Amino acid sequence: MTSLGTVPDTAARRPARAARERRRLSRKHREWLAAALFLAPDCIGLLLFVGIPMLLSIFLGFFQVSGFGSYRWVGLGNYERMMSDPLFWDAMRITAIYVVVLVPVLFAVSLGLGLLVKQKLPAVGAFRTALFLPYVISLVVVGLLWKFLLDDQVGAVSGAIEDAGLGHHSWLGEPSLALASLIAVTVWVMMGYYMVIFLAGLQEIPQEFYEAAKIDGAGPWRTFRSITWPLLRPTSFFVLLMSTVAALTGGLDLIFVLTSGGPANGTSLAIFYIYQQAFIFGEYGYASALGSFLVLIMVLVSAVVFRVTRGGRFDDGE
Amino acid sequence: MLQHGKDAAPPPPTRRRFLTGMAGAAGALAAPAALTGCGSAGSGGGELVFWNFYGPQHGPDPAANRQSEWFTKLVADWNARERVKVRLQYLPTSAYLNGSKVPTAFATGAGPDIFLCSPGDFLRYYNGGVLEELTPYLDKGVVEDYGSTLTSRMVGDKVYALPMENEPLAMFYDVGAWEKAGLSEGDIPGTWDQLLDVGDKLRRRGRAGLVFETQPGYFQNFTWYPWMWQGGGDVLDREGAPAFDSRATRQALQLWQDAVRHGIAPRTNPAAGDLVAGFRSGQAALWQNGIWQVAGFKAAAPKYRYGVFKLPVPAGGKYVTALGGWSFCANARGRDPEAAARFCAWALGSMREDCVARMTEWCTVAKSDVAPRTSALELGARKGGYDAAAMRAFKDEIFPGGRAEPRYPPVVYKAISDAVQGSMLAGRSVSSQAERAAESIAAYTKSYQGASLI
Amino acid sequence: MANETLTGSSGSRGDSPPAVRARRGIGRARSARAGLTLLALVLAVASVLPVLYMVSASFKSRDTVTDGKLFPSEFTFDNYRYVFTEVPFTRYLLNSFLISAVITVVALLFHSMAAYALARLRFPGREKLFALIFSTLLVTAPVVLIPLFLVARELNLLDSYAGLIIPAIFNAFGIFLLRQFYLGLPRELEEAAIVDGCGHWRVYWSIVLPMSRPILSALAVFFFLANWNAFVWPLVATNDPDLTVVQLGISTLQNQYTSNWNYILAAATVAALPMLALFFAFQRQIVESIKTSGIK
Repeated sequence: MTSLGTVPDTAARRPARAARERRRLSRKHREWLAAALFLAPDCIGLLLFVGIPMLLSIFLGFFQVSGFGSYRWVGLGNYERMMSDPLFWDAMRITAIYVVVLVPVLFAVSLGLGLLVKQKLPAVGAFRTALFLPYVISLVVVGLLWKFLLDDQVGAVSGAIEDAGLGHHSWLGEPSLALASLIAVTVWVMMGYYMVIFLAGLQEIPQEFYEAAKIDGAGPWRTFRSITWPLLRPTSFFVLLMSTVAALTGGLDLIFVLTSGGPANGTSLAIFYIYQQAFIFGEYGYASALGSFLVLIMVLVSAVVFRVTRGGRFDDGE
Repeated sequence: MLQHGKDAAPPPPTRRRFLTGMAGAAGALAAPAALTGCGSAGSGGGELVFWNFYGPQHGPDPAANRQSEWFTKLVADWNARERVKVRLQYLPTSAYLNGSKVPTAFATGAGPDIFLCSPGDFLRYYNGGVLEELTPYLDKGVVEDYGSTLTSRMVGDKVYALPMENEPLAMFYDVGAWEKAGLSEGDIPGTWDQLLDVGDKLRRRGRAGLVFETQPGYFQNFTWYPWMWQGGGDVLDREGAPAFDSRATRQALQLWQDAVRHGIAPRTNPAAGDLVAGFRSGQAALWQNGIWQVAGFKAAAPKYRYGVFKLPVPAGGKYVTALGGWSFCANARGRDPEAAARFCAWALGSMREDCVARMTEWCTVAKSDVAPRTSALELGARKGGYDAAAMRAFKDEIFPGGRAEPRYPPVVYKAISDAVQGSMLAGRSVSSQAERAAESIAAYTKSYQGASLI
Repeated sequence: MANETLTGSSGSRGDSPPAVRARRGIGRARSARAGLTLLALVLAVASVLPVLYMVSASFKSRDTVTDGKLFPSEFTFDNYRYVFTEVPFTRYLLNSFLISAVITVVALLFHSMAAYALARLRFPGREKLFALIFSTLLVTAPVVLIPLFLVARELNLLDSYAGLIIPAIFNAFGIFLLRQFYLGLPRELEEAAIVDGCGHWRVYWSIVLPMSRPILSALAVFFFLANWNAFVWPLVATNDPDLTVVQLGISTLQNQYTSNWNYILAAATVAALPMLALFFAFQRQIVESIKTSGIK
């Protein structure tokens, strides 16, 4: 984890900073103290309400837990069971498809929407609100709503698709389609959310750059390529990482209402399987081990992303 | 009046304050032990807490309100005469059934003193050691009065849960749609082939001809079992040995697969699973479901014309249906297990007249169920609780020959569920699905330790 | 809307280029803008239509709620009347409002402080600490629930407003997003202030915070919404009916065998409306251009 991001000391800055450092050596400790005080509330809270529970759950992964207070040390037993659990690997396979499709689509859609509603359009506030609207509704109700809309017999959306000549399909009842439906509904819910993050990120790009580009006669695409895209990097990095993490660990409520993991485990994502093991089957130890495994994957993914983007910082160093 | 100020319940054992030591040593081996601290779900003094999904609650549905009233009255009656008080804690149904609250409470030693338990969860609770034995508190003759209903709630000759209801499965049909399809009373199917035939005639655009449960879960398995049993199939044989992969099992899987493949049965539940609304809005005409729908019709659509008939049987098969229903349980690790057990026994397991009447009231007025005790069933019949056509059919034709929902643990449940889902909705070969499930069940039973699975 | 800025891709109103080019440019920009408006309209309708279906269904009866029609064949206010008269729904709304508001304010303060320190202050181990804070995002929620319940119990937080509020404040998401934002802010203003002898708190409070308004507005909406829609933790951590939050209240409308979808959708519509207003009010702040000059 030590390589997750580096201080962006460019060679040019260093001598100047060193000189300043010498001048206010006495300030160094004040800065440390300030940092400690600024960070204390969140660090204590995170440690108590996230860190300790996380450590405890990793620890539980080495026990067989009855769900009623009996704990038996099994060492790596749960991990051995994981290796030979076909249902878990099925769930991981489905999760992989889900993440690989969802994350890029969601990224492209929400970036596009962010760029669109940043424009000075008439009633743009209403457009933004409209696009954010799906996120306002709780996932349980979203699931219910789409269950109606995609109903086999009378669903408004499935009916419209059929009327458009695309055939009669059971969007939630066929294993391959159900996953696609889940992804589509997730994009619909989340696009407004990431749109807002992109919108805020776009706000940070100094206006002068665009004005300069216009004077140079740069078209929209070149402006995007040479100004927006590189300067949006911290935001893009954030969206990419957070949507991947969310895809791996979120959406439980939606799956529960929409498909219950079916048909034929077609939407049984890893997180759903873990929930099922923990709360329906009472296998906390095993569920904790699976959860730790998922955390490990996320750590690896984010380490790679941090590496590639150099901590999502500004300097591109290309 | 001693009941104020001095409670008979022993003071709750103090929990180990694990966190203080925890911060520094999260890895200490003592942690799991700390997780098991005792305590009760309730925050109030010495009263027993009863977690349920009926009351106290005020809902839009008159039937649900009657059920809530039954629970509040039950507890009020107890509290009027007993020193150890009981308090109801209502949980939304979806949260009780699939939520994380109940498991979290039990896992941290903060489970409710009294709670409702379904057959699918019985073994988990029993093997986890949280079910208090109820036998010593039952009146003489109650076990016999319950009869076979009690078997799946017993280990050896000891009773650990008391059923409040018996809920058989049957076929419900829309009489209007039935007649419009040119079908008459004589067309009521007695065999599977006839069933598919009738379903085919009833379906049209926007309306499912025949509905089998589609959502994976304990409930779907419960509705599928009778089709397997009818051909003589079973998950485990009488000795508890695995017996899943059989001709009867395969033909039951085949029935559901055929119904879906030919478009007779839908791939998702019509009307998001609401049978009464699904019938009334014309989205379904024939639906395998349980006796509780009778109360649903009575409350929401008393004039609606619907009919019920027994599940049809395969060629050469024998009629069986599955009987569901929830039970009262006492938490052996609760605040006062003895009082909790006495409460359960007083509520459902006494020979006193008021106890029998209470069960009758629940099964014929608050809900629509077959009373699990013979005395209560007879009383209900005498009081006219089974006079309505649907209830009479359930009591006299559908219920006899019923078999209680089995208490298979999660791994067995999941294996069967995957077989049903795989053949029904993914169209996989019936034999491969039966084989695969049989293998997981066999592997599991080999290493299983605990009370008998059957 | 005066602060709304133009982007290069469709910017109009050229300042200095030759008049001819400008005129042609304006014409092109105008038609481009019309095209973009149309696109936005189409997308907005596609996004809203399913929600309109929800609103329309909330005026249907139990029998027609699942009929798939966009317009109710029979129109009824019963569901709303029910939600407001038969269920203490106002109480639920107030509970959720109180909880969400407190969490949002405290979280914004704590997270911006932490993010400022991580982005700007120099201290040993800064990047390691950030990695550690970031790693708390990589959590599998279901398996952490039981340990979190234990922690909350040990701290006597169960069954109280504090228990609904305090654990929900701490989430590295906001720290991470704000840090990314601060990394991109020009340093000049802060450095000038430090040269002028301002303490770090002054710099944070009167320079960094005002510049963060867009991102803080976005986060305020996110935090408020996340807690407004919270379900699992309030369910697990409370037993007291007086502490019922909105989403928990909605779920109680569903019974074992009757689903009451029509009531649920009406309640969900009631719950969504204030959030919609909240977003509409805040979206202007989110796109407010950052004043990087003239502060102090």
